Amino acid sequence: MKEDYSSMRGEMLGDGNRGRYARQILLFGEEGQKKLKSTRVLIAGAGGLGSAIAFYMAAAGFGRIRIVDCDVVELSNLNRQILHAQADLGRAKALSAYDSLAGINPEIEVEAVVERISEENVDDLLQGCDMIMDGMDSFPSRYLLNRAALKRAIPLFHGAISGYQGQATTIIPGKTACLSCLFPGAPPPATAPAIGSTCGVIGSIEVTEAIKYVTGKGRLLKNRLLLWDGLEGCLEEVSYEPSLYCRECRGLGRDA
Amino acid sequence: MLISMPDGSRRVLSRSEARIEEIVKDLGINPEEVIVAKNGRIVPDDETAGGSDQLKIVRFVHGG
Repeated sequence: MKEDYSSMRGEMLGDGNRGRYARQILLFGEEGQKKLKSTRVLIAGAGGLGSAIAFYMAAAGFGRIRIVDCDVVELSNLNRQILHAQADLGRAKALSAYDSLAGINPEIEVEAVVERISEENVDDLLQGCDMIMDGMDSFPSRYLLNRAALKRAIPLFHGAISGYQGQATTIIPGKTACLSCLFPGAPPPATAPAIGSTCGVIGSIEVTEAIKYVTGKGRLLKNRLLLWDGLEGCLEEVSYEPSLYCRECRGLGRDA
Repeated sequence: MLISMPDGSRRVLSRSEARIEEIVKDLGINPEEVIVAKNGRIVPDDETAGGSDQLKIVRFVHGG
């Protein structure tokens, strides 16, 4: 009943001037907005990065969002994981995320999955998805997403943070290097320090990339790694290329 | 060789052509924790560098 009401309300306001998306339709038109609406997204992780990614994707009107996280909300998450509130302590992050996203945009479909992403379930989790948003906190899980992106030939929007630092790049199978070309080996495991604003910077860059990809605007971070140093207040980029010796793609995107 | 360190500082190093992995180790950095751009492009750490090459050593991050 609530959904019927909100979609009706959306139509009433959808005259381009007063509608929810009026300000971004100025950027990519009704056509672009329709493309966002028909895009199905997997957000891997509802932590710090996942919070920024999910809020901005939901608000922008990505039509179907599946958000996956196996953890429960802890007090030490709340400095940065803005999907979750004090009242969510002890709840599954995916369910808390569902409530936040449904609250910010009732016109989209949100699906919450309380599972750890693994070799066994990644195919099921990606069923019907057009893109993968990286909100993970370790390289082994990112390699899993990278393999799945290659297998399904869908883009992977990578981001990672530690403290004031962050990085982002866009992987498009067959057209760019893959994540394993860029990072052939995982760094030693460690608990990363984190502030919410760094997650905000990097998560926002990932979403900007996804919007550009869907609407066909701008120059994507293809074969370019963007590096954010918050302490220096500095953004830099370095280029990279598909590697013939890559264990995952063998340089698949070289000729693109 | 002009080397940009992970902390943003810069060093000038004069040494003969060597594998990037060796150069990084000699600077006291664990090669597993960094990627290295040679003249603006990330290269595998078994590639060599020397002369007037510019190396940027980036400590990549993994948190989320």
